[in-house]
Amino acid sequence: MTEDGGKSGKPRVLTVGVDLGTSRSAVSASNGERHVIDSYVGWPVDMVARKVLKKKVLIGDDAVENRVMLDLRRPLEKGLIREGSERDAEAVQELLSHLLSLVKTDEDGDNQKVRAVVGVPAEALRVNKQQLRNAMEGLVDSLMIVSEPFAVAYGLEALLHALVVDIGAGTSDFCVMNGRYPTDDDQRTLTMAGDYIDEQLFDLVTSKHSEATFSRHMIREWKEQHSYVGEAKDPIVVSAPVQGKPTDFDITEEMKVACESLLPSVTETMIDLVARVEPEYQAKVRSNVILSGGSCLIRGMGQVLQEALKDVGGGQVRVVKDPVFVGSDGGLALAKDAPASDWEKLSS
Amino acid sequence: MASLSRIKRQIVRQAVDENLDTINGVLPGIRNDRSRSEITLLSVFFYVALPAAVFALSYILSPMAVGEATDSRLAATRAPVRRAEPVVAEAGVPAESTTTYASPRPLDPAVMPLTLRRVVLDPGHGGSNLGTVAPGGLPEKVITLDIADRLRQLLEDHGYDVVMTRETDESKSLKKRGDMANEAEGDIFLSIHVNWIELQEIRGIETFYLGPTDDPYVTELAATENQGSGYSLADFRGILERVYADVRQKESRELATAVQSALFDSLTKVNPTVRNRGVKSAPFGVLVRTEMPAILAEVSCLSNALEARLLAMPSYRQLLAEALFSGIDSYARELNQAYQIGG
Repeated sequence: MTEDGGKSGKPRVLTVGVDLGTSRSAVSASNGERHVIDSYVGWPVDMVARKVLKKKVLIGDDAVENRVMLDLRRPLEKGLIREGSERDAEAVQELLSHLLSLVKTDEDGDNQKVRAVVGVPAEALRVNKQQLRNAMEGLVDSLMIVSEPFAVAYGLEALLHALVVDIGAGTSDFCVMNGRYPTDDDQRTLTMAGDYIDEQLFDLVTSKHSEATFSRHMIREWKEQHSYVGEAKDPIVVSAPVQGKPTDFDITEEMKVACESLLPSVTETMIDLVARVEPEYQAKVRSNVILSGGSCLIRGMGQVLQEALKDVGGGQVRVVKDPVFVGSDGGLALAKDAPASDWEKLSS
Repeated sequence: MASLSRIKRQIVRQAVDENLDTINGVLPGIRNDRSRSEITLLSVFFYVALPAAVFALSYILSPMAVGEATDSRLAATRAPVRRAEPVVAEAGVPAESTTTYASPRPLDPAVMPLTLRRVVLDPGHGGSNLGTVAPGGLPEKVITLDIADRLRQLLEDHGYDVVMTRETDESKSLKKRGDMANEAEGDIFLSIHVNWIELQEIRGIETFYLGPTDDPYVTELAATENQGSGYSLADFRGILERVYADVRQKESRELATAVQSALFDSLTKVNPTVRNRGVKSAPFGVLVRTEMPAILAEVSCLSNALEARLLAMPSYRQLLAEALFSGIDSYARELNQAYQIGG
C-alpha cells in the first residue's frame, strides 16, 4: 500500500514500475495493482467516429477493436518514442497516463506523490530518454529510467554473474550483470524481435498463399498462439478468407522459419557478451542465463539457446515465469529500494 | 544476503547517477572526463591563453609546415592537429633550445582540449546527385545530410565549431566542398557517405583517407564518389601529386582509425553481423583539395535490405551520428594527450 504520509497530512507516495513496450506495456504499483495493456492509442478520425465511440481517445484493446474509426498509433517504435511526431509523443502521454490511472486509487486524490521507474531498451539513446522524460512531465513527481533487462535482473535479484536476454516485440535486449549498474559494454540491443518474426511470417505466408487475404493483426495473433522453434508439436492450421470464403491453411513450416530467423543474431550476441566477461566468471554467467520478454513464450526458445551454449562449454537458460510483469515488477522493486533523498533529486 | 544488499545499494546509487546525467544532458562516459563547466572554463582560457599558444606553436611548427601555412592565423588553426612528439623528435633537440621565443612549457594544459576546434562536415552528394538509392527510394543524399545535422548538434553541444559544406539539398562540386573547408580553416574534415556493395548480404562500414590504392573495389568506389568532382584536366596533375605525397596522411589515418573504431563498436552493439571493412586509403576527390586531415566514412550499406530499413529510422541515424562524434572526440582527446606529453 502507500508507503508514508497519510494521517500526518504529508502526501502519500505511490511507487510504480512501468515496462514500456512496443507491443504491450505493463505497470506494477506499490499498492498491489498490476495491469498490462496493448501499446495502442487512437483518436476518432472524424465527428461521426467521435459520436459513435463517445470518447476523445481510446487506448489498448479498446483502440485495437475500434481501429477502423481511429487514427491509430503505436507510439513506441522499437521501444522508444519515435522522433518528429508530436502525435506519437501525445500518444505516449496518453498511454502512460492511462497506465497510471489504472494503478492510482481515488482515496488519495491529489494528495499523492508518484515515483516511477520506467524500463526502456538497453541502449536507448540519451535523446530518447529525454523525450520520454518530457512525455511523462506532469504525470509523475519523480522519474527514473532504466534499461528493461536491468529491471528484469533487479526484480529477480540476478545482479551478479547473470545474463538477461529480453526478447520483446521491437527489440531484443541483452544485459550482463556483474554486480554493478550495467554500462554500455554490458548491454546490447538488437532490432530483431517479435515484430521481425511477424514481418517474416507475413512475407512467407502471403507469398505462399497469394490467393488469400491476410492482415498483420491475424499474423500477430497466430504467432502469439503457435510460435515455436525446433520440432513442431502439432500442425498449425489457421483460417483466412479467400474471396470472402474462410479457408484453412497449414503454416507449420512458415512459423518455424519465421521464429528461427531470430536465432542466429540472438545466439551470436548472447555468446559474444558472455565471451567479454572476465574468464573466471564466464561459466557462472553461462549457467545463469535468464530469458524474458514476450517472445520468451516462443515454445522451445530456451532449449535452443541452451543448446547454443554447448558450443562454448554449456550453460543453463531459465525462462521467467511471468514474462508480462517481470520488467514492471523489477522496476517497482528498484523504485521501492531507492531512498527518498534520491527520488527528490529526480523530481521533475 | 548482506552482500546482495550492498550490491543493491550500489546499483541503485549508480542508476540514480546515470539518470541525473541524463537530466543534466551529459553523455555516457563524458561526465567524468569533460563537464560542461569545464568546457566553459576552457572557453575563457581560449580567449586569454590562446594568443600566447598560437605564437609559440606556430614558431615550433614552422620547420615542418606544409608550405602554405605561412599566415600565422592559418598556422594557428592547423597547429592543433599536429603532434608535439614528432616535432621534438624531428628537430633532434628539445624544442625550447631552438627558440628564443616563449617556450610552450608554461602553457596551461587546460588550453589543449581546444586543439581540435573546428570540424568541417561534408554530407555526401546533394541536389541532382542522389548518391546511391535504397530499393524503397530513400537516397543517400538525404541520409548523409540528416546524419551530418545530428552530428553537428552533438559536436556543438560539446564545444566544437562546425562548418557544413551543405545544409540543404543542393548540388555542390567536390572542388567547392574542399574550398569551403579551407576557407573555413577547419581543423579536420569528415565526408559522410553510405555505401552500395554488390554482394547485398554484406553489411559493412569502412573509412578512407587520401592515398593510392591497388584494390579494384576501392578504385571503383572512388570513381563513383568522384563523379561531378568539378576538377578540370589541368587540376589532375596536382591531384595525383597530392595523392601520393600528402603530408597529412598520418593524421588522416589516425582520425580514420578513431572514427572507424567508434563506428564499429557502436554498430556491433545493435547488429553483431556488421563487418569491419577497415581503414583504407583511396583517391577520393573530395579529400584532395582539403588542407587539413580529411577522411571519408562509408557509415552503412544501402545495398543491404536490413541496413536500408534501419537507415530509415531516426534512432539508427542518431546512433551513427553519436558513433561519429565519439570517434572525433576520441581523436581530439588523443591530440590533447600528445600535446601534453610533448609540450
